[in-house]
Amino acid sequence: MRYTSFTSYDLILLAQGLGVSVALFLVTTLIGFLIGTIWAVMRFYRVPLLTPLITFLAELLKNSPVLVQLFLVFFGLPALLKINVTPVEAAVITLSGNTAAFIYVIAVAAIESIGRDQIESARVFGLSRWQILRHVVAPQAMAFAIGPLTGLLVNQLQVTSLISVIGVVDLTKIGNILNLRTLKPFIVWTVVGGLYYIAAKLIALGGARLERRLRAHTAWKGL
Amino acid sequence: MIRARGVQKSFGSAVVLDGIDLDVNVGEVVSILGSSGSGKSTLIRCMNGLERLDGGLITIDDFDVSNPKDLAEARKRSATVFQLFNLYPHMTAVENVTLAPIQVLRIPRAQAESEARALLDSVGLGARADAYPAQLSGGQRQRVGICRALAMKPRYLLLDEITSALDPEMTAEVLNILAQLARTGTTMVFVTHEIEFARTISSRIVFLDKGRLVVDLPTDRFFAGDGGMANARIAQFLSKMRKE
Amino acid sequence: MILAPHVPFLLKGALLTAEACALALFGSLVIGLLVAALRTSSSPLLSRAAFIYVDLFRNIPFIVQLFFFFYGLPEIGIYIDAFTTGVLALSIAGGAFSSDVIRSGILAIDTGILEAAEVSGLSKPTIFRKIVMPIALRTSIRPLGSVFINLVLTSSILSTITLNELTGSAKIVASDTFRPFEVYAVLLIVYASLTYLISLAIGALHRRLNRDRMPDVA
Repeated sequence: MRYTSFTSYDLILLAQGLGVSVALFLVTTLIGFLIGTIWAVMRFYRVPLLTPLITFLAELLKNSPVLVQLFLVFFGLPALLKINVTPVEAAVITLSGNTAAFIYVIAVAAIESIGRDQIESARVFGLSRWQILRHVVAPQAMAFAIGPLTGLLVNQLQVTSLISVIGVVDLTKIGNILNLRTLKPFIVWTVVGGLYYIAAKLIALGGARLERRLRAHTAWKGL
Repeated sequence: MIRARGVQKSFGSAVVLDGIDLDVNVGEVVSILGSSGSGKSTLIRCMNGLERLDGGLITIDDFDVSNPKDLAEARKRSATVFQLFNLYPHMTAVENVTLAPIQVLRIPRAQAESEARALLDSVGLGARADAYPAQLSGGQRQRVGICRALAMKPRYLLLDEITSALDPEMTAEVLNILAQLARTGTTMVFVTHEIEFARTISSRIVFLDKGRLVVDLPTDRFFAGDGGMANARIAQFLSKMRKE
Repeated sequence: MILAPHVPFLLKGALLTAEACALALFGSLVIGLLVAALRTSSSPLLSRAAFIYVDLFRNIPFIVQLFFFFYGLPEIGIYIDAFTTGVLALSIAGGAFSSDVIRSGILAIDTGILEAAEVSGLSKPTIFRKIVMPIALRTSIRPLGSVFINLVLTSSILSTITLNELTGSAKIVASDTFRPFEVYAVLLIVYASLTYLISLAIGALHRRLNRDRMPDVA
């Protein structure tokens, strides 16, 4: 067996890389979703001081390169705080924060899509702000947000590829390793790209299914 | 001349034109009347090749509009004015008018522009020649639409309910121009609801009902008690339109 | 401030970023227009091919696309420098996104306007050039602006193919000064300000291109 040729073990490597990418994607999506939603709820309650701060932070994260955010966390934080940050930790922090920023923006838009009059009439009926959020705002906002959310998730999966730059052994990093070893860039990057493509399509498909189900749920079914 | 023979047109299962025969000679003003859905707009859209015929034949000066090779020549000889103006929103009035003369007729830009300005001037829009459609009123837009059609120096002017989207005052602005054109002998096919106006400018009036051509009469005969008015459908239509 | 002596170096990087983005903006607009025209064309084959291009390049991470070109092109005997490769990759990826935007701009055009153009005898290419393209571009200037802002942010990834644009040169400064936090924090703010300025410019351009819809003062 020549050093440079592909081996069947490479398939396991690719699968491992894909697993790391997907795992990080899932974990950071979950954390990002939680944080982003909490931010949006804070805004809904008009928490003073925090609301403008969150909006500013979200804009900053949305409007700067993820790669730079990643460098700031991975190289910058340890230097500033004299702590140790592993590549995976840096990846989780950065991607979660980035996802949170986008979730926040989508959630705010979704909440604002619900007419003020609906919220006001709910208040007239004596519902508390929490009850309004829970029973009036959340279900409608969810149905509104599912489309943009799917787009975001497809995008965030692709963004995970950047963590290879700080040394996380994700799918892209495996691609780098195989590329260097086999010197067959076309094959390597086509396969890696293909795997990302399939994963992205699965997310889009899942989102579309969920959207259909939610829409069916909120659709008028007659008396 | 424009010649239609046995024109058939359906949308899905709905028959819109059912064997229309019609001739329009040079110098004539032919008004097409009929209630909504009678197929009159579709007939115009068949004449300028926007709708494909399902059967029959339409020729403009012997150029068959169903034949792709002839259509270009047929379209050079006719020009259409639309109900909703359909001006190019990103171009000024004068640019709207000069686009086709420059691109299709290959008229030099300077000449096309001076002709366009003269045309716009003749419809009272000399001062608005450099305005964009969104800056013009509906009546002004339709006057630009007429200029855009006239700039192609067509032998036949096809007018598709050109005042339906206008209020009475603006309608008057536009109809005045048509009256002028009729006096100068422009050949027109005029699909309209403006019966009284049609009466003043038309040489002939055609009445469509449910895709069929019911009558095709000289204007005075159409309004005569023993002519078009003898047809119950037409009498009913006219009295209804006059009440409105 | 510790960064002061490094500002000229960083500015050089910023200039390279600006150059790459300007060229890629042009490239992605050209590709975007072409692909949008193909996707809205009546030929099923062409529109299918255009769709596949858009679908692929929108769903594969940019860094993978970049490596594909950077490592792959020399393998088939095409030797271009990192800058050209970067601009090419950005243009192709940006083209996929802008074609989607332009396509919706095209589909939103009132069909009556196109019919008016058709009956006046204008040829299909002329209708596209004189009517479809300008209307689609001016109505989609805002979403195109978002695509461009993304392009600027994405250009930071060019630092991974040895290109010392803004992010690449900041990396060097960070390791030279041992002040990575300060350097990257500043860099983050620089990018955010840059994209903010671009969004302001896009707003102004949008108003200018659609000025005829404003009330006429004359």
